[in-house]
Amino acid sequence: MSVLHRHRSLQLLLLLTPGVGYLLFFFGTPLLSALVGSFQLEDGTFTLNWYQCIFTRASTLRGLSTSIYYGTMPVLLSLTLSVPLSLLLRRSFLGRKLFSGLYKLPLAVPGIIVGLMVIVVFERGGFFDRLLAPIGFTLPKLVRDDWGIGVILAGAWKQVPFMTLIITSAFAAIPEDIRHAARSLGASRLKTFLFVDIPLAMPGITAAILLTFIGSMSSFAIPDIVGPPTARPLSVLMVQEFKQGRFEQVYAMGMVLSLFAIIVLLAYYSLTSRIGHDSRKGEQS
Amino acid sequence: MTLLAIDSREAPRRRLFKAEDRPLVSAGLYLALALCIALPLTLMFLWSVADGWQPPSIFPQSFTTSRWIHILGDENLVAALLTSLFIAFTVTILTALIAMPTAWAMGRFPFRLKRLVEIFILAPVIIPGLVVAVGVGKVFLLLGLAYSVAGVIIVQIVGTLPLMIRLMSATFETIPDELIHAARSLGAGTASIVLHVILPLSVPGLLAGGLMSFIGSFEEFDKSFIVGAPVIQTLPIKLYMYLDPYSMQLPLAAIVSFILLLPALIVFIIAGRIMRDDLMAAGMGKI
Amino acid sequence: MMSELEIRNLTKHYGETRVLHPVSLSVERGEFVTILGPSGCGKSTLLRILMGISEASGGEIHLAGKRLDLAPPEARDIAMVFQSYALFPHMSVAKNLGFGLKMKNVPKDERAKRIAHVVDICNLHGLLDRMPRQLSGGQQQRVALARAVVMQPSLLLFDEPLSNLDAKLRDSLRHDLVALHRRIGTTSLYVTHDQAEAMAMSDRIVVMNAGRIVEIGTPLELYRSPRHVFTAQFLGQTNLLTVEASGTGGRLPWGQVITLDRPATGTAQVSLRPENIAIIADENGVATVSSVAFLGATLFYTMEIGTLSLKVSQAGGVDPLSVGTRVSFDLAGPVHLLDHLPMAEAA
Repeated sequence: MSVLHRHRSLQLLLLLTPGVGYLLFFFGTPLLSALVGSFQLEDGTFTLNWYQCIFTRASTLRGLSTSIYYGTMPVLLSLTLSVPLSLLLRRSFLGRKLFSGLYKLPLAVPGIIVGLMVIVVFERGGFFDRLLAPIGFTLPKLVRDDWGIGVILAGAWKQVPFMTLIITSAFAAIPEDIRHAARSLGASRLKTFLFVDIPLAMPGITAAILLTFIGSMSSFAIPDIVGPPTARPLSVLMVQEFKQGRFEQVYAMGMVLSLFAIIVLLAYYSLTSRIGHDSRKGEQS
Repeated sequence: MTLLAIDSREAPRRRLFKAEDRPLVSAGLYLALALCIALPLTLMFLWSVADGWQPPSIFPQSFTTSRWIHILGDENLVAALLTSLFIAFTVTILTALIAMPTAWAMGRFPFRLKRLVEIFILAPVIIPGLVVAVGVGKVFLLLGLAYSVAGVIIVQIVGTLPLMIRLMSATFETIPDELIHAARSLGAGTASIVLHVILPLSVPGLLAGGLMSFIGSFEEFDKSFIVGAPVIQTLPIKLYMYLDPYSMQLPLAAIVSFILLLPALIVFIIAGRIMRDDLMAAGMGKI
Repeated sequence: MMSELEIRNLTKHYGETRVLHPVSLSVERGEFVTILGPSGCGKSTLLRILMGISEASGGEIHLAGKRLDLAPPEARDIAMVFQSYALFPHMSVAKNLGFGLKMKNVPKDERAKRIAHVVDICNLHGLLDRMPRQLSGGQQQRVALARAVVMQPSLLLFDEPLSNLDAKLRDSLRHDLVALHRRIGTTSLYVTHDQAEAMAMSDRIVVMNAGRIVEIGTPLELYRSPRHVFTAQFLGQTNLLTVEASGTGGRLPWGQVITLDRPATGTAQVSLRPENIAIIADENGVATVSSVAFLGATLFYTMEIGTLSLKVSQAGGVDPLSVGTRVSFDLAGPVHLLDHLPMAEAA
């Protein structure tokens, strides 16, 4: 044991091995083999064929754009709901503690069930449809419709609690004194929010947005159950190809999806580090 | 300037501050909650007990519990439930065990390349689960782990590990060095320190991470589907099969949904009482 | 003539608890008034009500002739310096200074002029482009000060601004604050629990305890002739002794006779400052030295007389007496008699 004490780097290595090692073996290696596989034909020769297929076939191109669409739209909808919600939650109201627990329920509901709920409520012949029938209205097609509204609604339903959670935490982390200072310097509540709260909460908020975007862009269950068969995202196409054993094609699709996720992440890092750089502008020796 | 003789007792004042209760806000929010959460859940429940519920009736006319009884006796479903539970427990425990040493290193040692390791640990959250599963699937075929419970467990841990490591390293970071020095100076060996100082102080983080891992595993679909189906069926996979658009069985799907939801909700409510919001925010990186 | 700041019968309670009993106070234009009291005495509550981030339960406030307490914080002609500095972390020093001016729509060239001026008088040269986290504690506090001063408000509020600084920095910043006040002359209300700070900086001190104003006076008045036991004990050190008074003479518990600073009869209380007790080594003296502390500039003794314990201090240049030495006291000058105020009011 004392040997370990002395060789700190050995100690460090041993500690890191379980977690990092596990991920290297069961995540890194498969990912690498998928990457390699995406460039190979069955006989092992190098090819760009699979990637070509993705970018030339209309269905896969539409798959990519649908994936991005299913990533962006729910996030936009969630934001418009989460920001006001987190503002309302900031101050007290009757039953606030209970509400703070209840609104997080969707976090525990798996995607498939959310899909089911959308069907039950919004599908033709579903609840709202029957509710409105006596009045003579029919609900527009919201499930398996061309715009994927059902998918967007389901995605937003799951995301709103998560984003609200993150945003309220981000706002709560701002010391109250700073808001008071802004008020005493002549900023109204609104101006304080715009010039102090939002800039300071931004890092947390953008992180949440990115995670959510990537998550819903690559989600499978909800688009599969509730989405239109005419516009399937890459995730659904991947599973189709997988069932038919065309593994290399699946790898290529997976790499494209992953690449997109990484690009988004890099954009985030460059954005936030640029803000950091600006603020370091005045650094003197 | 004359001094205004204003009644300085508690007179009502024109103020920007609204009344503490904000009843309108409260009512609005709870209404939204009822519409968005309670309504769909109630409807699903009605579907599960309705004896034929055709349009245009808004509420079911007759009820039956036969489906529930039938399903609860369905061996396959019970098997799926037990499989899910078993996998969830195993994943949670294994994740905790694997995560802790690494989290200890991440939380308490500064070292070069730390940022790189951080990003690598976060990668499984960024890279879509499907892609991971698909990559793993082939490897498992070679190793003979495909279509096995062990395979599903292994692939799920890839998903729960990053969150657990992050949560635990955040927790470990907060343990003051002095406590450990004090314990050593009082004669405690490494094992004692872990048992009597570190573990008790880590309970909040462990609890949060454990609950997160449990729920995450219990309702995990993408990876389990690729690796396990159709041989290994977890509850989510079973539910998915009931939702096949061409042969959808809504009532059965509703019942399975509740069976799937119930443990998750219970665990979640317990978690909600114990955990703090910021820990939750840190942990929930999944959709 | 009405004072610059008039606080009338201000009260504040949270549910059943009263945090501020009716508090009334007047501050003249250009005065530097300190509100001094222990934690929980209500001084911060008072400040928050003045700022507008807390609402009074009753009473009114007038500033420069206008009713203050009905206006929202952003409409008040007040600026505050916070204990935590509260600089905007995402803005440079220049932007921090310019924030309030922008909010109040001060024209651009006036803005530049004011900022340049305040950089000069608060000594912020070369710091304009830095971010708050690149500044030391003392620099941050000066920026916080400048940010308030640049608004040219009718009232400047200070919430224990020096508490977060180490002793040396505190002294130098205190010095700067006094110099600044002399230069710009803004009416200032300063809150602190540090009595040395209060005495060094203020024109007048408002002593507060448990939500009440105990006493108001100049530092000299409050130190030398406090009316209230609380004040006597809170400002500096003192010995509280019971005397039997008859006219201007009083008899101390051990029989020594002293002159009182005003006539009284019967049992009364006096405040005898340690530095006002002259001691003589005396074999037949009434008191015995029970402890000695050499503090450099002062010598601090504790003396025992029977059951009583007395604090005595001397200039540090003298040779210290050893423990056990018997001493007697020379109490020539008039000793200050405290007011006969019921204990309830001090609580």
